[in-house]
Amino acid sequence: MSAQRDADSAMPGFYAAQGIRKSYGAIQVLKGISLDLKPGRMVTIMGENGAGKSTLFKILAGQVPPTGGTLRLAGAPVALASPSAAHARGIYLVPQEPALLPELSVAETMFVGALPTRGGPLGRRVDWAAMRARARAALDALELPIDVDRPARTLSIAQQQQVECAKALLRGCRIILFDEPTSPLTSHEVEHLFSIMRRLKADGCTLSFISHRMDEVLEISDEIAVLRDGVLVDVVARPSFDRARLLSRMVGRPLKAVPRRAASNARDEVALEVRGLSDGLRFADVGFSLRRGEVLGLAGLVGAGRTEIAETVFGVRPAAAGEVRLGGAVVTGLDCHAMIRRGLVYVPEDRARHGAVLPMTITENVTSGLLDRVRRRAGLLSARDEARISAAAVRDFRVRCAGLDQPLRELSGGNQQKVVFAKWMTTGPRVAILDEPTRGVDVGAKEDIYEMIDAMARDGMALLVISSESEELVRLCDRILSIYEGRVVAELSGADISPAAVARSYLTAAAPSGGVAA
Amino acid sequence: MDMRAPAAADAATPRDGRRLPVGGWELALTALLVAVVAGFGAAAPGFYAGPASLLGLTENFLPFGLVALGLSLVILTGGIDLSVGAVASLSAVLAAQLWSRFGVDIWAASALGVAIGALLGLLNAAVILRLGIEPLIATLGTSFLYGSAAVAAAGAAPPSGFPASFTAVGTGTLGSLGPLAGLVPIQLALFAALAVLFSALVARSPFGRVLVMVGYSPDAARYSGIRTGRVLATAYAVSGAMASLAGLVLASYYDAVRPDMGDVLLLTAITMVVLGGISIFGGEGTVAGVVVSVLVLGFLRQGMLIAGFSDMVTTMLTGAILLASIAAKNLFNRRGTGLANQIWATIRRPEPPRANPN
Repeated sequence: MSAQRDADSAMPGFYAAQGIRKSYGAIQVLKGISLDLKPGRMVTIMGENGAGKSTLFKILAGQVPPTGGTLRLAGAPVALASPSAAHARGIYLVPQEPALLPELSVAETMFVGALPTRGGPLGRRVDWAAMRARARAALDALELPIDVDRPARTLSIAQQQQVECAKALLRGCRIILFDEPTSPLTSHEVEHLFSIMRRLKADGCTLSFISHRMDEVLEISDEIAVLRDGVLVDVVARPSFDRARLLSRMVGRPLKAVPRRAASNARDEVALEVRGLSDGLRFADVGFSLRRGEVLGLAGLVGAGRTEIAETVFGVRPAAAGEVRLGGAVVTGLDCHAMIRRGLVYVPEDRARHGAVLPMTITENVTSGLLDRVRRRAGLLSARDEARISAAAVRDFRVRCAGLDQPLRELSGGNQQKVVFAKWMTTGPRVAILDEPTRGVDVGAKEDIYEMIDAMARDGMALLVISSESEELVRLCDRILSIYEGRVVAELSGADISPAAVARSYLTAAAPSGGVAA
Repeated sequence: MDMRAPAAADAATPRDGRRLPVGGWELALTALLVAVVAGFGAAAPGFYAGPASLLGLTENFLPFGLVALGLSLVILTGGIDLSVGAVASLSAVLAAQLWSRFGVDIWAASALGVAIGALLGLLNAAVILRLGIEPLIATLGTSFLYGSAAVAAAGAAPPSGFPASFTAVGTGTLGSLGPLAGLVPIQLALFAALAVLFSALVARSPFGRVLVMVGYSPDAARYSGIRTGRVLATAYAVSGAMASLAGLVLASYYDAVRPDMGDVLLLTAITMVVLGGISIFGGEGTVAGVVVSVLVLGFLRQGMLIAGFSDMVTTMLTGAILLASIAAKNLFNRRGTGLANQIWATIRRPEPPRANPN
């Protein structure tokens, strides 16, 4: 370590992570990150979904304790027990969508937890005048024309972020971290945020932010740090930025070769056709057609709108425009009750909330997809018939359990997911949408699920697979659509499909100015 | 992991559904019931004067049980119906007025009364679903509306003096069916029949299954294609119908109607449902538990009164038993769905992702 760095690292505002590790159970999210944040510099963190960017920020801001490693502030080790401990040390994290208390005024939200008081005959009281004056001064310092008496709920997300910046300064925080601030903003708002960042930088603040948008990263950063699978794979300083190199670093190459599926099972018959679908909020003008036996992937960053597209097709979210055809018949606007009966099913991303009822038994969950098919006796469900359906499902989907009456919550994540698959597949669907089908699933069960998906395609089922793991899409899909900020931006098929190509397809996507909403 | 390993469930013996009408809690309540009846039988002279008088005691509390059966469905969905007392009063008063003012046959008027109760329940569901008001507030509000309507409909001199065939429902026995049937009050037969019906409904009917699913997880139910609004509307309608049935049985028992006659039903009925093991968060519990709990609380109250304790002491003991039993239930709840567990689950931070179990 050079003497120069040692001298620098003692500077006030020099915030260094040294060998930071973080594990959740046996899963290592950060594998020894060392990164220097310096006064007057903007260090940008880039990386794919799940690379560990947000976890790193949460550790830097005291929201999550690291499993190992040291944080050093101006050369001295610090332990941050909580966000407020971080604030006291001058470290402030601006969340992506700030949670200002909606009913308070802007001035009040800026002083929550640290209200200025003054003495009086009846004891200490809040000094409203001082609070408003100081809040106004902090906003003025950043040239933000926001009325301090406005209720916080009337602020746009961009304005809330601006108030957060002023709040950081008010608390004397000079190390400011921004967790993906630009994705909810329009291009004009991004420019304004960047002008604030430049001002803070010129003022000597230590800045860092997370972004997926290559253009803006190249514009604002002094250094770019690339994270991949919990490892810091590259740190580049201006002026040696190189778009191609950053991309290849971000995407990287997995050590193991990703097996591609053998051959497409796609038939000619179109099973699901979506045209010009919009929800007026999160995605717009999405169109694709899916043939029987075909596996179509939806790639994209978390929050790109893929789940919203799936939920709208399935009928649990309303569509604002567009058309959905199932086997040729227009089904736009039908609810999911009707969709399931027409052969469209959806395995949701959030298993505990939407996919299954964890306190209920395996059998009750398996038959819950379509109770109509269970035989009745005097209007009551035949226990024998239910057990028969459930036993067959448990066998076919290789569920490991103690018995059919075991509550689902007692099973491992992988076995729970197999039950959710069984729930839908035993209804005999023609089209299945699988949203993050292997989330929270162990490695062995993951391979089981891949084989099941292959088998469904062989049987002629049309499958739409959403996954944030490029390797998974490569393993499963005949064709992949890349979604960026609610729009289809690329299509990959056949030999073009590789993990690198998939990740590149959405990481390089040009941001449509202002996003869908604007 | 050997994926060819036979699934363990092949070896498992499929039991007859998990939602058996009898579980540990139901057995514990039954033991309590035996203790209560045997205890008062031994210690309180006058509590046991032959089987007919023992069964006859049930006439004093089974209207509460009828309300509890209907309320069970609503609480299983995770909701609450505070309007049951007012629904009982209003529909009984309206049925009585139909009979006395408009000359409608008493049985036809009673049937209309039950239908009115179901309609009032549907109105509750409409307020909850269409106006997006929480069940607690919605049914509190409608209970005032229904209660006032009952006062208005009753007038200065509410009807009384019903035909003997009608008053027999509240106070008569099945005597005409045979000598042994003469021991069984009509109220008890009615309650038993409905208890069996409701138990089968919740345990094994398609409606009961989706009701429980909605109670555990409205989101998962919706994503499974269940039209949750219809399920809720049905539960509130049944609760309303059962409340009005209880109101009519009270009218028959007292041979009169009063606009406030249903007011006593609400709190006791909720106590019966909760002591019966139905979680106020929805999903958890059985009708069998509620049935036993109705008998426990009913006989306890009757026994205390016969033994000469005041109403105040009896009520105090009811509260203490409710708290003690639910505390015991939570303590021994291994499935992690008890009240304490639920509260704990909502305040603790989500667990980090589980490690690979292999």
